[in-house]
Amino acid sequence: MNDRSAGTAKPQADSAPAASSDDLAAPLYVAWQITNECNLACLHCIEESGPGKAFPDELGEAEVFRVLDQLVEQDVPYVSFSGGEPMVHPQFFAMVERACANGRQLKIETNGHYLDAKTCERLRALGVKAVQVSLDGASRNTFNRMRVLGEFNTAVDGTKNLRAAGVPIEINFSPTRFNIREIGAAVDLAYELGAYSFYTGRTMYTGNAVKTWRIVAPSEEEYAEFFDVLRAKADEYRGRMRVHFHEMGLLEELRYRLQHPAALLIVLPNGLVKLINALPFVCGDLRTQSLAEIWSNFRNAWHDPRVARFIDDLAVDPRGTSALHKWVYV
Amino acid sequence: MRLAKSVKFREEKFGGVLFETRSEKVFTLNPTAAAVVREIQAGRPEHEIASALNGRFDAGDGVIEKEVEAFIAALRQRGLMDE
Repeated sequence: MNDRSAGTAKPQADSAPAASSDDLAAPLYVAWQITNECNLACLHCIEESGPGKAFPDELGEAEVFRVLDQLVEQDVPYVSFSGGEPMVHPQFFAMVERACANGRQLKIETNGHYLDAKTCERLRALGVKAVQVSLDGASRNTFNRMRVLGEFNTAVDGTKNLRAAGVPIEINFSPTRFNIREIGAAVDLAYELGAYSFYTGRTMYTGNAVKTWRIVAPSEEEYAEFFDVLRAKADEYRGRMRVHFHEMGLLEELRYRLQHPAALLIVLPNGLVKLINALPFVCGDLRTQSLAEIWSNFRNAWHDPRVARFIDDLAVDPRGTSALHKWVYV
Repeated sequence: MRLAKSVKFREEKFGGVLFETRSEKVFTLNPTAAAVVREIQAGRPEHEIASALNGRFDAGDGVIEKEVEAFIAALRQRGLMDE
């Protein structure tokens, strides 16, 4: 089959590798940390969120909706709201409504503490694509130790409310020294709660984890056992629930991304846009620049020599990730 | 026949992309594939798609039909379609 106008061959859909971000007119995915405020103060939080931790300069109401309008104009298909805890944002439901009404696929990443039955029904009615709940443990003991001010039973009940309302559920699990051996039970729990996806990977040395690393960091032996269990669980739940895990270390991941940047923008609560969460580089500011302008800069920014140098330096000293919140403008 | 609820299509200079947001997988489409997906989105029945594209492609008898059929089967096999 030949397309006269474009001179190409038969219809094809290729999944690997995806189109380079250089070829795309706009991002495919915008991961938006809508606030840094949180009701919990988790030991491993990469954003150092917590009560009273909202940035002093977070985007205001009018600015937030201007960003949402640009996501629609640029036809960004997939958006996530995270935080902090996104559900404490004063405009949370209005933002969800605006995003969903215009055909975006919206995922909400929450600690699960605000998911009463009525709220879950509202999320379903608005057309949220999925809610991802952080369940770092299969027991109250480990969950509550890790999620300071959090309550395991509340998060589990909230997840049950999502299921009752018919909202698709994803579960996220961050491993630490004291919950890592619960991984098998945590995957089983996610399935019992009705999740269609389970996500996990290595906990990153940044944010609150820098201060708590001595008590939270699993050993390589523990990680080896953890990934063995996950491989077995992925097989066990194949076709019923997707068990997705990043076994790759951060350095390998970043080296891969340097060659193959994902078509993903990370938006911070104050409108700054990062290249990727695990790097300190900022490639735009939605307060002063359009999304289209930032997307153009994003593609150039990955070629900035400082980005490659930062990644190379991580090979020498992995503790470089502790400085992710000291933003570098590229 | 339509794209699955979790699948979003966007046109691009090189053709288009399908983004399956449940698995977060991206499929790149060449211009011909993008044309088929546009027809699916427009609600055209499967058996009419090849003839709708016929005027735009050089191909021997029955070639377009076979290729469109194979492409739609591939979309189904990857879970990108709802019936």
